[in-house]
Amino acid sequence: MAFDLPPGLTAREFERALAAFAGAVGEQWVLATDEDRATYSDHFAIDEAAHRPSAAVAPLTVEEVQAVVRLANEHKVPLWPISRGKNFGYGGAAPRLKGSVVLDLSRMKKLEIDVENGTALVEPGVGFYDLYDYIKKNDIPLWLSVPGNSWGSVCGNALDRGVGYTTYGDHTAQICGLEVVMPDGDLVRTGMGAMTNAPTWQLYRYGFGPSWDQMFVQSNFGVVTKLGLWMMREPETMLGIDMEFDKADDLEWIVDTLAPLRREGILRQAPSIGSWLRGAAVLTTRAEWYDKPGALPDSVIDAIRKKFSMGWWSLSMRFYGPEEITAATAKVVRKAFNGRPVLSIKETAWRQGDPPELSAWAGVPITFPLQNANWHGGRGGHVGFSPVLPANGRAALAQFHRTYARYKEFGMDYHGSFAMGERHITNVNQVLFNKDDPEMMARVDKFFRALVDDATKQRYGEYRTHLDYMDLVASTYDFNDRALLRLNEKVKNALDPNGILAPGKSGIWPARYAGERS
Amino acid sequence: MNRMPTARRCALAGGLSLCLALSWSFAETPQEDAGRRLYEEKCGMCHAAGGMGTGLLARRYPPGQELLEQRSNLTPAFIEVAVRSGIGNMPRISRAEVSDEQLALISRYLSRQATP
Repeated sequence: MAFDLPPGLTAREFERALAAFAGAVGEQWVLATDEDRATYSDHFAIDEAAHRPSAAVAPLTVEEVQAVVRLANEHKVPLWPISRGKNFGYGGAAPRLKGSVVLDLSRMKKLEIDVENGTALVEPGVGFYDLYDYIKKNDIPLWLSVPGNSWGSVCGNALDRGVGYTTYGDHTAQICGLEVVMPDGDLVRTGMGAMTNAPTWQLYRYGFGPSWDQMFVQSNFGVVTKLGLWMMREPETMLGIDMEFDKADDLEWIVDTLAPLRREGILRQAPSIGSWLRGAAVLTTRAEWYDKPGALPDSVIDAIRKKFSMGWWSLSMRFYGPEEITAATAKVVRKAFNGRPVLSIKETAWRQGDPPELSAWAGVPITFPLQNANWHGGRGGHVGFSPVLPANGRAALAQFHRTYARYKEFGMDYHGSFAMGERHITNVNQVLFNKDDPEMMARVDKFFRALVDDATKQRYGEYRTHLDYMDLVASTYDFNDRALLRLNEKVKNALDPNGILAPGKSGIWPARYAGERS
Repeated sequence: MNRMPTARRCALAGGLSLCLALSWSFAETPQEDAGRRLYEEKCGMCHAAGGMGTGLLARRYPPGQELLEQRSNLTPAFIEVAVRSGIGNMPRISRAEVSDEQLALISRYLSRQATP
């Protein structure tokens, strides 16, 4: 079957490059059949063909990664590094530039844990399940922070600013030290790792002079081959409060109640205020309730909520540590909600010695939230639209109303949540779709662009986006005629003159492929 | 060794007792043992109790049949197509993640109860 070659390469040059890669990693780990190309495509994409790779190369060691990167320079082959390729909703394993060769790091699974200091050093192939199983097998008293889809890589998730449910849920903030193969094949360790054998690589983030860790997050400036991560010690207790709220407009006061608790460090975990569909799409399908097109009417929403005892919004908070602290925190939080029309309140408690609580709140990996992609039946999928807002109730409610109106206008079911940061909100909206419904699929792109346009008018930017929208979102960061993009591309061209690493990632295009920008 | 089931075998609290009941409940050949271990490692996150795949299959199959290990109608050919081509919400799995040799062992394990 015909396929897209890397731009600018002839079939013969491409074959030569693959033979060179095979010399570095072994023939078995150069994957270039039609079936291979399909396995690295984005299963959830609106248009899979737009991001189909030409092949994949799967090295096992850092030395093999360096060799592949050097060969890619020699043969002018664009590489798209992935850790485990489970970044569903944002592109999965697929490259931004079709015809790129996926640099699949999923075979790199080395893992070290420093129990005393509560740190891990992981290679990109280490998944959340691998890390969890290792900790359990070795009776290590540390807890993970896992994302809602924990199938993916610990390293890859932190590098894409993924989030989890515990106090360590800002995964990028837990990074402490990286090992990076640079675009010319050089090997760098950041922070204290710049000193050979320093015992503080995973303990002090900054090292001496400029600190580079964040430079390799959501970027295409290097291939991260090891990532240091701080982990939470198993707490003495995990107490919690779950709340349901009846009215959509309750959002304003919920946000204003939570914001000071987060800002002052009383609530140390980032609670997310989720709409009813966040839970319902996991528990049921749309067809069980309604068989007409267009957004669900309120009467159906009410029936679903009644069946599952859900509020319009749900909120879960968890407090970790000695009971003297967690019980006091629970008391302060309950007091903050006193007098408010909370629909229902449930308290939860886990204490050391109790049976393990197998939930994401306790850092146990999960995949069941991905069931939501089946909401419409058929081959499901979703894309995420996630603007960053101030932690302010009025702003959150206005954003909700704007977004909700757009969902209705485009005949889609609203699936939104408001995750409370210390001084911001990440407003995660999932656009759930049915790939077997061409009429619906024709609406998705216009809908998404309308959402971005609305947010940009409010000067809200997205924190993360799908391959299809990286250029669009990068263009919204427009201060001084997009000075940040100019800086990123100056750095890109200086470090990667052949433009071989992930061209187009986060809208950053090397000069060689500048014409590919959408 | 800690005998608590791994997350792959039980993704949710509700799956705990079921997982314990399912573990090591029959005599295995060495190949079945290798296939079972690979199945747990590569597929368990979605296809153990509480995983995404199990949750979605429960919508289409009678109780118990949502767990692939309990099915008697899985053939190696079907499993191999589902893994490499994807099926429903299940994305395709690459040969770097599950090699052809590993997939053959997993398929043999899952089809061990298949009736011709």
